[in-house]
Amino acid sequence: MALVIAAAAGRFPAASAQTESKSNWDLTQLMRDLRQVKTARGRFVERKYLAILNTPLESSGTLVYIAPGRLEKHMLLPRQESLILDGETLLIDNEETGQRRSFVLQEHPVLWAFVESIRSTLAGDLQTLNRFYEVSLEGDASRWRLRLKPTEPRMREVASEIRVSGSGTWVGVIETLEAGGDRSVMTITRDAS
Amino acid sequence: MNVAARWALGAWLAGVLACAAVIARTEFSTDLSAFLPRSPSPVQQVLVEQLRDGVVSRLILVGIDGDSADRLAQISKRLAASLRASGSFASVNNGEGAGFEKDRDFLWRNRYLLSPAVKAERFSVQGLRESLEDALRQLASPAGVLLQRILPADPTGELIRLLEQFAPQAKPRLYSGVWFSKEGSRALLVAQTRAAGSDIDAQERSLDLIRGSFEQAKTGSEARLLVTGPGVFSVTTRERIRHDAWRFSLIATALIAAMLLALYRSLRVLGLGLLPVASGALAGIAAVSLAFGSVHGITLAFGVTLIGEGVDYAIYLFTQNAPGAAPQTTFERIWPTLRLGVLTSICGFSAMLFSDFMGLAQLGMFSVAGLVVAAAVTRWVLPALLPRGFVVTAVTAFAPKVMALVRAAPTLRYPMLVVLAVTLAFLLMRPQPLWSGSLASLSPVSPGEQALDQRLRQDIGAPDVRYLVVVRAPDEQAALEASERAGDSLRAAIDQGGLQGFESPASYLPSMKTQRERQAALPAPEVLRQNLQAALKGLPFRPNVFEPFVRDVSAARSMPLLERASLQGTSLALKLDSLLVKRESGWAAMLPLRGVTNAEAIAGKIGKPSDAQAVLLDMKHESDQLYRTYLREALTNSLLGAAVIVILLFASLHSPRRVFDVLAPLVAAVLVTCGLLVLGGVELSIFHLVGLLLVVAVGSNYSLFFDRQAPSGQDRSRTIVSLLFASVSTLVGFGLLAFSKVPVLSGIGSTVGMGAAMALVFSAIMSRQADTEGTTYARTP
Repeated sequence: MALVIAAAAGRFPAASAQTESKSNWDLTQLMRDLRQVKTARGRFVERKYLAILNTPLESSGTLVYIAPGRLEKHMLLPRQESLILDGETLLIDNEETGQRRSFVLQEHPVLWAFVESIRSTLAGDLQTLNRFYEVSLEGDASRWRLRLKPTEPRMREVASEIRVSGSGTWVGVIETLEAGGDRSVMTITRDAS
Repeated sequence: MNVAARWALGAWLAGVLACAAVIARTEFSTDLSAFLPRSPSPVQQVLVEQLRDGVVSRLILVGIDGDSADRLAQISKRLAASLRASGSFASVNNGEGAGFEKDRDFLWRNRYLLSPAVKAERFSVQGLRESLEDALRQLASPAGVLLQRILPADPTGELIRLLEQFAPQAKPRLYSGVWFSKEGSRALLVAQTRAAGSDIDAQERSLDLIRGSFEQAKTGSEARLLVTGPGVFSVTTRERIRHDAWRFSLIATALIAAMLLALYRSLRVLGLGLLPVASGALAGIAAVSLAFGSVHGITLAFGVTLIGEGVDYAIYLFTQNAPGAAPQTTFERIWPTLRLGVLTSICGFSAMLFSDFMGLAQLGMFSVAGLVVAAAVTRWVLPALLPRGFVVTAVTAFAPKVMALVRAAPTLRYPMLVVLAVTLAFLLMRPQPLWSGSLASLSPVSPGEQALDQRLRQDIGAPDVRYLVVVRAPDEQAALEASERAGDSLRAAIDQGGLQGFESPASYLPSMKTQRERQAALPAPEVLRQNLQAALKGLPFRPNVFEPFVRDVSAARSMPLLERASLQGTSLALKLDSLLVKRESGWAAMLPLRGVTNAEAIAGKIGKPSDAQAVLLDMKHESDQLYRTYLREALTNSLLGAAVIVILLFASLHSPRRVFDVLAPLVAAVLVTCGLLVLGGVELSIFHLVGLLLVVAVGSNYSLFFDRQAPSGQDRSRTIVSLLFASVSTLVGFGLLAFSKVPVLSGIGSTVGMGAAMALVFSAIMSRQADTEGTTYARTP
């Protein structure tokens, strides 16, 4: 599932983090930089490559992040559906059928692990990431990639790895490799507005 | 001891032994059958069955708080594990996934027999196309991750449908794998006992088990255990009644014994004083046991109260014994009056013998037998056992003062009339009914405990079952089929907004008929493959992805149908057991309703002639109704008894004026007692009625003795002092109970305490015997 975003540097004074020296840039520093981002908006395109389908499934829409715990994913195509993650509840609102369902993350460990891969990255919350994943970092501040390997057996049955790449405090691509060989790639671009 | 006395003593001993023998084999029941009419309606029967051993009656809700969430979660897990291992509970649920895998596996294997969506159209080209398009949309959403794994075998989504159908409506939140309250400060657990809710001993054992296991599970933590539920209420109530009854009767006994010992100056006489009531109680139990086959707890409790009058008999005999007179002669002197008093009480209580309610009939039988025996023991056995020349010397000391008061009493006639008129006006003008019509008025559960119950229930989302559809049928299959028909009516009611939802045993185990229909709706593999191929046209699914679906559907067409045993090992079996029950004759299915807003419309739908076996049961309404009928019948019988008393008095006293003199103090005492209770904010219940009956029984002796023509002034003063002693002991004995926190004890205690004292005072005020010149006074209505 989803997310992410951007602190348009110009718009947020918090972007001063970028002026830190690049020489000692590391996971801790990346997380600290990400923590400065208070809100971000973007558009996403997600492609799922599934073994049972002969063409990828594509969906698109907008993403909104509000620090520290709120994340909204509004899918506009192929149908309207919103996912709103706030604190520890996840609300799925199918705007076409009017059906709303809410989940308490703690009751759905797999779902929880998934959403934290994105939310905790955006929030720069390394502690929570470490709770679900073995985290490693590649690249530098201008072009980095986080590799998240699930540690919980139940999550490992579903996903083998999640890769989050970005530059600066902008998260650009989230790639999920599923255990069965399926995968999905979500690309996030700055919202023009 | 003369020959007659020997015979009397021998007969008494033989009687006591015979009663003991009968009682030894007597069964004592505590269920609600006492409140059931002799020929209960089906709804009433179901109601009592539900209250006695329905699912709801077996629930124990547990909360653990007072420590960090992580510690609480650990304690909850340990507690649940040890309770599960104990075998005393049908289920112990604290949110841990225990058993869920099995449930899911069962639902998965049997999805085509269980899912209500299985219809022929669903497997047609068009039906499949719709399902597949829907699946495609679902795959794009986050939940798709879980869906894509089962899609090839279940493209029509039957498993998801079943999971949603069985998901509890309101669930507590989970932390660290166990249930917690919303704000996260309390770990929650729900246990369902194997024993029926009405089996208080078993409930107490279950409760002890929970407390003991908790002590072990908390291992040094400061955590606190909270328990509630119907069983917990029964146990604490019984505990409290025992405790209060024990404590208060100990104090009362000590006080009364001290008083009587000071008067009698003989331990032997003190002991003898108890013989009439004790023998009466034994005889009462034995008589009820022989007549009804078993004795109800309520009969025992109320019955012993009703024959409380027996305690006074000995006081009359001992106190009125004049110096130098043989007890036997004393008794022959007062016997006619006492006999009339006993007869009055017996007439009053015997109306209950003919009640339609078993509880009231038993009560009538108990008190009649008890009083007859108590009076007979006083009459024929006590005089023989009383020490020769026994005299209560204290009487002489009391007599002058008491008689002075009695002589002065009649001046209070007019004030008393005013009090009576005001009381009557107050009672008649009150807008609220005098008698409480709600069964809840009997509930000994304190507001604090009710609040805790409410809180835990909300936290857990446990049903507070009020509405149930109950189906009765000759066999299991018929019960399931009728449940399915009732389910159809209920679904129609849901569509119209009359209710939110319901549970049905047929969801867990569809009838054979329905299962066969579902099998018949599944197409043959070649047909399904063709339909699937047509439906897949233009969709991005890879060819042959759905082969597992074709295989599973084909297997389902000839798989063995589900029976009760098929659910074994799943938590669904438990649910089914609670909703589908074998009764002595036939089967009963329960469909608990949720969010009922229009009970009438539902009753109308369910009550259609074709579904005549199904009835809508409103537990609160029905139980209140039952109680109201019971109370009304008890009141009617009491009034009938009063009428019989009037006739008896006319026949014995031969004078309307004397009948009035005897009755007026009693009526006044009953009225003023009611007035004071109501003024104190009490809603009168069956407990108060029993109390009032005893006031009439005890009070009639007072007014009869006041009315009696005494052969001498000395004799009269002895009589009146004996009445004073009797009423003081009643006041002490029952008055103390008024301070109990248990409604049954305080209700009876305050009524009898006040009533007996007032009956004596009013008898004195209204007395026209020789002590003073009779003043004429207006007759009260």
